[in-house]
Amino acid sequence: MSVLSARLLKSTPLLAAEPEATETAARETHAEPVRLGVIGPGSRGKELMRQLLRVPGAEFVAVCDVYEPRFAQASELVGHPLATYKDHRALLDRKDLDAVIVASPPVFHAQHVIDVMLSGRAVYGEKTMGFTPQSCFDIVDTVKKTGQIFQVGHQMRYAPWFQESVRRIHAGEIGEPTHIYAYWCRQDDWRRVVPSPDLEHLMNWRLYRESSGGLLEELGSHQIDFANWVFGELPASILGTTSIATYHDGRTVGDNVQAILHYSRGRRLVFNSLTANAMMGEQLWVYGTKGSVQITPEDATFYTEARKVITAASHSSVVQRGVKTGASYKANGEMPYRGPGARIDARNAEEPTLTACRAFVQCVRTKTQPIADVHAGFGSAIACSIGKDAVFEGSTKTIPPLTQGHA
Amino acid sequence: MFSFVYPAMGTEFTLHLYAPSEEHASAAARTAFEEVERVESLLSHYRPSSELSRINREAPRSSVTTDPETFQFLETAWEWSRRSDGAFDMTVGRLMKAWGFYGADGSLPARKALAQVRDDVGWEKVRLDPARRTVRFLERGIELDPGGIGKGYAVDRAIHLLRQLPVEAALLSAGSSTIYALGAPPDETGWKVTIPAAHRSESVLCSMVLRDTSISTANHTEKHFVDNGRLYGSIMNPRTLRPVEDTIQVCVISTSATESDVLSNALFVMERKQRARLLEQLPHVSALVLAEGRRAWQHEATRWPAEVSLTT
Repeated sequence: MSVLSARLLKSTPLLAAEPEATETAARETHAEPVRLGVIGPGSRGKELMRQLLRVPGAEFVAVCDVYEPRFAQASELVGHPLATYKDHRALLDRKDLDAVIVASPPVFHAQHVIDVMLSGRAVYGEKTMGFTPQSCFDIVDTVKKTGQIFQVGHQMRYAPWFQESVRRIHAGEIGEPTHIYAYWCRQDDWRRVVPSPDLEHLMNWRLYRESSGGLLEELGSHQIDFANWVFGELPASILGTTSIATYHDGRTVGDNVQAILHYSRGRRLVFNSLTANAMMGEQLWVYGTKGSVQITPEDATFYTEARKVITAASHSSVVQRGVKTGASYKANGEMPYRGPGARIDARNAEEPTLTACRAFVQCVRTKTQPIADVHAGFGSAIACSIGKDAVFEGSTKTIPPLTQGHA
Repeated sequence: MFSFVYPAMGTEFTLHLYAPSEEHASAAARTAFEEVERVESLLSHYRPSSELSRINREAPRSSVTTDPETFQFLETAWEWSRRSDGAFDMTVGRLMKAWGFYGADGSLPARKALAQVRDDVGWEKVRLDPARRTVRFLERGIELDPGGIGKGYAVDRAIHLLRQLPVEAALLSAGSSTIYALGAPPDETGWKVTIPAAHRSESVLCSMVLRDTSISTANHTEKHFVDNGRLYGSIMNPRTLRPVEDTIQVCVISTSATESDVLSNALFVMERKQRARLLEQLPHVSALVLAEGRRAWQHEATRWPAEVSLTT
């Protein structure tokens, strides 16, 4: 290991006052309405609704949920009564919907997003795109067959400091990126408050294997998507482990997960999630042969590796006098780098979920496919659908490529 | 009884509640604090990703569409600006920065800097369009500051969710400046709240028992600086562009924590006659104002439910 030395570059501001953004906002204010329905207005679904209500022209018409108290919450959020349904097919029978938001638990994603597309509507489907390998292939097939607009909830793809980091990584600024270390750590038992015990599995679906891929699926899916973006391909296999170290409360998914995803040319994503220690928070480190990048929910910082010094030694000093021999120990040579880096300043960036929602509405209006499209969704979801078994079994499993499902 | 502390909005939120078990209490506390966190991510002017920060960035250049909750929050704030004749004013963002109160304890501004922010302050320089749910600043330098309303709103939202659970007895305090008393502890008529006197350390101004209502206190003890022997607090008079100096402390009791938070700050800024006029229109509100008189401290009590001691 070499000692890192930061070559302090000027901080790069992103999204300062841009005239174009102003004009876009002004145009959007007078935009035609885009009428939306929601399947699954739970905690994430409501957050998506809140963000979409900040997009000019986005209007909510109807919601669908099996848990009735969500109806009043959703209506309160939009500020007027919404049509409500307990069966998503009844919602899709409406004639006044332009697009549908699917934020149901992942085990229902395929059924819901496929039915939306078959009904002729655009869909914003929360991650993780599909729960089983087959459901991932089925969603890709449906997008292909219907040509519908399908955006997956990988909002990091819309964050300007993520985009700028990937651009600079691809431009070679940290050399060849070989490893990504991803952390998503919290001090949180992940439990929802349940009004009565019979609602435990409905409300706390994240805690049970039959309805959840656990931390790999719920948190790691974003970071797998990021690694796929950086490495420009899908992982070939995944090795993982999980355990319940703290919350012995009847849950059947682990409260911590470690996984290694294998990419070509020896490249790796190392994912680590703890829920009883938030020290590392949410962050990604991309390590390359010439430098490193740390990406957090608010910014990104580039570090450059110390260059190997090459000098021209003279024949007389090396060959005639000889070289000295001794211990190779070097006291300070392996200390972690603790100096500054070059920060990408994202102070003026809006919440990435809002940017993703704004982009979705724009895609619906212009009938174009989004950045976080079905292929991005597939790359992360197929790894999670295979990986959740790998971490549970403590084994290595092969991840099928997209072509395999279309044999 | 179970007690929880959660750091948020630049202070500590404290929740005391009665519940059948620790598990129930923890779940309720999580519900309340998650809501406080959500409100902070909506209204914080320290977080670039908050909705309020987005409005501050974009509204000087174009109309900004916002969600119904944020719009309604702003409408409420603007209604109080109107009713208080500008004593409460969220557009003091630049003014607070000029006085060094943004993320710090304050410092005396240069006269030039103060003159520069004059155009950047004024609630009437913001257009709220309910039909389109848009916000537009008419001056480019305007910045909204949620101080004086944000904590009260967070308390109201969290109490709303605690009621739904249902929690029957809880006391939620936002750094002690806004407190809501929900129900009453077992065998009690309400939650006992003591108001220390800001002008005399260790002494108590009054004590009372509150139930299903909120109390907010405004004074200069929390954030201030002293320059040349003179104390400058962070409660600004938007008209003079200076910290208020002759009011010592204001306490307001109202069933809405948003309202008690706003009013404690608005009454702090207003003149005595102005205060009386406003309180006349608000028969459900109680207020206690402690101000510097010619010779001694003076207090104005309006429908105040407890004895006030200025001497102990």
